[in-house]
Amino acid sequence: MGDQVPQNAGYLMAAYILVPTILIAYAVSLYRRSKGP
Amino acid sequence: MTIVQKGRWLVITGLVLLGGVYVRALAFTPVERFQGPAQKIFYVHVPAAVTTELAVILLGLAGVFYLFLKDPRLDRFAEASAEVGTVFAGIVLTTGPIWGKPIWGTWWTWDARLTSTLFLFFLLVGYQVLRGAVTDGGLRARYSAVLGICAVVLVGFIHLSVYLFPTLHPQPIVLKPSKPSLPGDMLITLLMSFGVFVLLYVGFVMQRYAIAMRRAEASHG
Repeated sequence: MGDQVPQNAGYLMAAYILVPTILIAYAVSLYRRSKGP
Repeated sequence: MTIVQKGRWLVITGLVLLGGVYVRALAFTPVERFQGPAQKIFYVHVPAAVTTELAVILLGLAGVFYLFLKDPRLDRFAEASAEVGTVFAGIVLTTGPIWGKPIWGTWWTWDARLTSTLFLFFLLVGYQVLRGAVTDGGLRARYSAVLGICAVVLVGFIHLSVYLFPTLHPQPIVLKPSKPSLPGDMLITLLMSFGVFVLLYVGFVMQRYAIAMRRAEASHG
């Protein structure tokens, strides 16, 4: 009687895409501000 | 190499290493039996939360020291740490609901831990607004220092909120008085991810500090 492991990899994928997206967006923002007037 | 360039390289290194953490989390760390793959959100959510706490504690410390020493470098560091802390708090507040939905059955609940974390995010946004609203440099630094110290008090409340109030949010499994209650494989992945988030924090703060320094030089003519 093995317990069924929940199938919810979509949530994991969403979070794992979102995190670098936020980090890269902020890195780009800092890059642009450091180049700005 | 300038401080901005060093910061950029740290961030690029951090992003590459984050890819390594993903590989480790997805391929070499066991799937938790009851939560399934969604539990692996833990490896970005928790390090982002701890780094936010770290950013705010350093913001508060810089505020305390600024009030005594009046050193503008402390104010610039506080400004940088607050902004980077806001970004990490944003990660916490987006990955948390994505994890909560499959496990708790809801994206959000107004319990003490979640609500106080949201309040911290608003406080950090308010900190940026305050800095933008006060034109006098000395007053801005003093008001900001006081608000930064208030934010540290809130961090203490957030950390203890899971003990003080009934909540859906689990209690700390690593940052607690007893030993971490986490299998070795999971703990190593978590610590690697935490290292990467600290590296990203340092890289971002260095760049943001340099921007604050340049603005200060520009305002002094």
